[in-house]
Amino acid sequence: MRPKTQFSRAVVTALLLLFSAAFAVPFVWLLSTSLKPIEQTLSLPITFLPRAHYADLDGRRMEVTLDFQVTQAGAVVRLLSGDDAGKLGFMGAAQLAQHADSAVVVHPVAAGSWHVTQRLDRATGEGGPSPLWDVLPRDRIDTHIKFRWENYPRALAALGGDAESDRHRVGFWTFLANSLTVAVLGVIGTVISNAIIAYGFARLRWKGRDAFFALTLATMMVPFPVLMVPLYGVFKAFGLIGTLLPLWLPTWFGSAFNIFLMRQFFRTIPEELSEAARIDGCSEWRIFWRIIIPLSTPVLVVAALFHFIFAWYDFLGPLLYLTRKDTYTLAIALQSYESQNGGVQWHYLMAASAVTILPVIILFLFGQKSFIRGIATTGSKG
Amino acid sequence: MTRNEKKQFRAGIGFTSLWIVGLAAFTAYPILASLYYSFCDYSILKSPVWIGLENYQQLAQDGLFWKSLRNTLFYAGLSVPLGTVVALGLAVLLNSEVRGKSAYRLLFFMPSIVPIVASSMLWLWIFNGQYGLMNGFLNLFLTPFGLHGPAWLADPAWSKPALVIMSLWGTGNAVVIYLAGLQNVPTELYEAAEIDGASAWQRFVHVTLPSIAPVVAFNGIMALISAMQLFAQAYIMSEGANGNGNASDGNPARSTLFYTIYLFSTAFQDLRMGYASAMAYILFLITAALTWAAARFSRGQYEDAV
Amino acid sequence: MHPAAAAEPVHVVYWEKWVGVEGQAAQAVIDTFNRSQDRIIVDYYATSVPDRKTLVATAGGDPPDIAGLHEQNIATFADAEVLQPLDDFIHREGLTNEEWLSRYYPVYAKICTHGGHIYAGISTPAVEALYWNKTLFREAGLDPDRPPRTLAEFNDYARRLTRHDPKTGRLTQVGFLPQDPGWWPWIFCDWFGGRLVEGNRITFATDPHNVAAYAWMQSFTKEYGLENVKALSSEFGPWASPAAPFFTGKIAMVFQGVWYDNYIRQYKPGLDYGVGPWPENVPGVKDFAMAEADVLTIPRGAKHASEAWEFIKYLNSANPNAQSREELQGAELMDFLQLKNSPLRVWSPYFTNHNPHPHIAMMRLLSASPNATCVPQIGIWQEYYREVISSFDRVRLMDATPEEALAYSQARLDASWTRYRKSLERHGQWAALGETAP
Repeated sequence: MRPKTQFSRAVVTALLLLFSAAFAVPFVWLLSTSLKPIEQTLSLPITFLPRAHYADLDGRRMEVTLDFQVTQAGAVVRLLSGDDAGKLGFMGAAQLAQHADSAVVVHPVAAGSWHVTQRLDRATGEGGPSPLWDVLPRDRIDTHIKFRWENYPRALAALGGDAESDRHRVGFWTFLANSLTVAVLGVIGTVISNAIIAYGFARLRWKGRDAFFALTLATMMVPFPVLMVPLYGVFKAFGLIGTLLPLWLPTWFGSAFNIFLMRQFFRTIPEELSEAARIDGCSEWRIFWRIIIPLSTPVLVVAALFHFIFAWYDFLGPLLYLTRKDTYTLAIALQSYESQNGGVQWHYLMAASAVTILPVIILFLFGQKSFIRGIATTGSKG
Repeated sequence: MTRNEKKQFRAGIGFTSLWIVGLAAFTAYPILASLYYSFCDYSILKSPVWIGLENYQQLAQDGLFWKSLRNTLFYAGLSVPLGTVVALGLAVLLNSEVRGKSAYRLLFFMPSIVPIVASSMLWLWIFNGQYGLMNGFLNLFLTPFGLHGPAWLADPAWSKPALVIMSLWGTGNAVVIYLAGLQNVPTELYEAAEIDGASAWQRFVHVTLPSIAPVVAFNGIMALISAMQLFAQAYIMSEGANGNGNASDGNPARSTLFYTIYLFSTAFQDLRMGYASAMAYILFLITAALTWAAARFSRGQYEDAV
Repeated sequence: MHPAAAAEPVHVVYWEKWVGVEGQAAQAVIDTFNRSQDRIIVDYYATSVPDRKTLVATAGGDPPDIAGLHEQNIATFADAEVLQPLDDFIHREGLTNEEWLSRYYPVYAKICTHGGHIYAGISTPAVEALYWNKTLFREAGLDPDRPPRTLAEFNDYARRLTRHDPKTGRLTQVGFLPQDPGWWPWIFCDWFGGRLVEGNRITFATDPHNVAAYAWMQSFTKEYGLENVKALSSEFGPWASPAAPFFTGKIAMVFQGVWYDNYIRQYKPGLDYGVGPWPENVPGVKDFAMAEADVLTIPRGAKHASEAWEFIKYLNSANPNAQSREELQGAELMDFLQLKNSPLRVWSPYFTNHNPHPHIAMMRLLSASPNATCVPQIGIWQEYYREVISSFDRVRLMDATPEEALAYSQARLDASWTRYRKSLERHGQWAALGETAP
């Protein structure tokens, strides 16, 4: 459809801009988080720009983290008694008055000042000296925008496990190769097998076809959790557990989703084209190959793209069927940033995710070509 | 069968033979085994004991089964039609002649390729009652009336609508399929309609829709099947928003306890695989009935849809 | 049994959930074990959700030799015949079950046992304590070194640590909220002196102490107002993130585990906080605490069960005389590297005195306490736990009174328990289990 007037064109563009902005947010957020230091990730209210804060602590300029704002006036004091004797502490004004004898004021603090801590660049909480801290008014803290590109190499290095002693240490490239193997072999199998099968359902009339197709659709309606255990048994019986085969081999034998998808598209191709070829004495195979396939590039690309994405992000399959780290795919390896009890290295997770997304974007841009021809040139099909 | 019918049959079996092998090798056994288990007391490791219809009888009396079914039908009833309208609308917009089409297409597809662990954290922010984007927008209209947007995922009354809204972001897949479908609509039909003086809406209803009816049917049926089996998004969001380490119960207060989530915890936490299998086959029957009805309906509208 | 021991070492397959820092620690301990003898090599495979993976693989006849699980899996997995009892291995060491268990603090011994059998060894233990924000204590005029000692004091402190915005009246800070982190509402039942299971009966709603605990949990919503609490909780980030409410000073007191110090150092290094025992709730019950553990189990059908046992034995022992980091062994080495307490009664001098955990003494005190408690080992615990959470949601959202919520859950659990017993009877297991129910 062609927007006619200037006005309708402007409306279409405005709508598209609005929607695409909304749809782009997840990706922008992912990129921004991947460039933050960990203490700025998941902050509320959300911030998109990664920052660095600097202040003078102990007479030295250094990078600090903003911890929290003190709600009342008080003072930073050196404590004279209790468990923390000798250490610095913050006391509210009221408390200071009560405990004047147990603390020496270092400097007074106005309400609304920020508690800041020296930023020690360490990935984990282990070891090291305890960081310096202070409570300072906001105007004594300098804030700049700073992108932490170093997150990327660090995230990829951490993906394989850092321990030198790790016998099974494998890195990003192994995971990438495994993911590519599963995705590429799966895409080839998906496109070839499902196109052939769907042709049998879409363009041929034969006894039992519709019942068989209904059965095919029905297989998608049984929820997967109850199939998991017997399916594992099947792959075990074939001796495929622990290899990449369960993740791509089945795609060479069709899948209900893709059969259905391609069947629907093949049905939109006018029947007259096939009839004319049959009258010319073409075999069904030849009609499939010479007429249907050339007219079906868009749906083949769609099926390829979808399977690639599915295989690329599939978590459950690799989780069940892979056992050794050197066979892991990227989707499984991304779990490396999760630690016990759910702590997550968000900045690393996002950096590695951004790297993981890259091949999909490239593939999508390539696949676009099949759409770009647009209506004008496909008109001749009718 | 006549000779010609036999020939046709052979060709049909020939083209679908790969699938016959695939079905027999990878699909038939799991499906038949789980059907058998649905009549058994089966805890995965111990040998199944036949108990007839007991699982099905217990399901009828299981309040959570009904609750999860209601939750799922609510979600599917809203998300399937809304998703279809949004996806089809976006695809038609994208198929019109505007500048920078490929960039838009990529952007619309973006939510489908951002890993769900990453995007779920973003959604937690969007639906945050205090700082969230959603309420920031809504409050522009609500505040003058002294109202405030809800806590969404943390509020039992609003957690399902939040998931429906979230599902609209995932329509990129459907948009891509519709776009591929729109390629096959012959331009001549539009030109003829224009000559007849048809408005844009009339062209859409009388040219576009009938031409891509099979594609709409595909997207609609797939949306229905996946809505009935909704799992991952609901699971992750429930955990993230309520943070009590037990996402498998559809918190808060079981408002997002969807069918497959209940089925999953029955199967893998309680190890009641027989009961879960019975649930699976009830869902199968419901989904099949709904699909059949949808196919009947679309066949009534458009000859060639399913 | 192993005449060719020197020739070909046996590879033991060990599935575990830890990656990152904890995974590296586990690998270091395994390397030490592998070097300590030449008969067994343990291969560590990190995997997400090892419980489900173990279940599916064991059903498929292809289990690992060692599966790293959570303690709340033990009863369910044991009843479902996923796990093999370790009793025979222990007896082969010339020990009775009681003698073996005497190495642990009582609560960890309890964690390893179900139905009179030992099913697990500890891989790493945890214990939960009271964490409080000293800065907020000082602001509220409370002694930052003196945590509340009784429930009454705790409630009083919670009130005094609660702040409202003077202009809008909105809640800006609370002393305590039971939903942070909200993982263990059931522990409050124990803390109030309640029992979740009594003999062969579910006592969730029938034990008045449990109702009292839920009423206490609801009292925070009642006092602050539901809308106020909702608005404030919207400002909470995930518990292990810089925006976690305890790290941003929005909650002043929280019950958290031994791992929490590590997260504080990572996300909020400037936090001034204290760690102490649970306040006394039932008069006379001092040093109440909650303990948990990640555990090592041997699935049925494991190909190298006796070698797997050797590793479990190693990881549940230590060198009591260790004077240096190099001399640490087994449990102590793992817990040293993972910054945890040790589940064993005897701690070596080095582990005690050079522990990198800043509050290790408190953690030891609590885990050694005779009043430390853990999840009940009952086969329907997962379902029970979901009811615990659901009831908690309902009372804190003012959707039900504690009595109503617990009665609803009790009815469901009674039916489940009846059904579960029937299933065990069907498989001929109930007779053995029934006598030793929790």
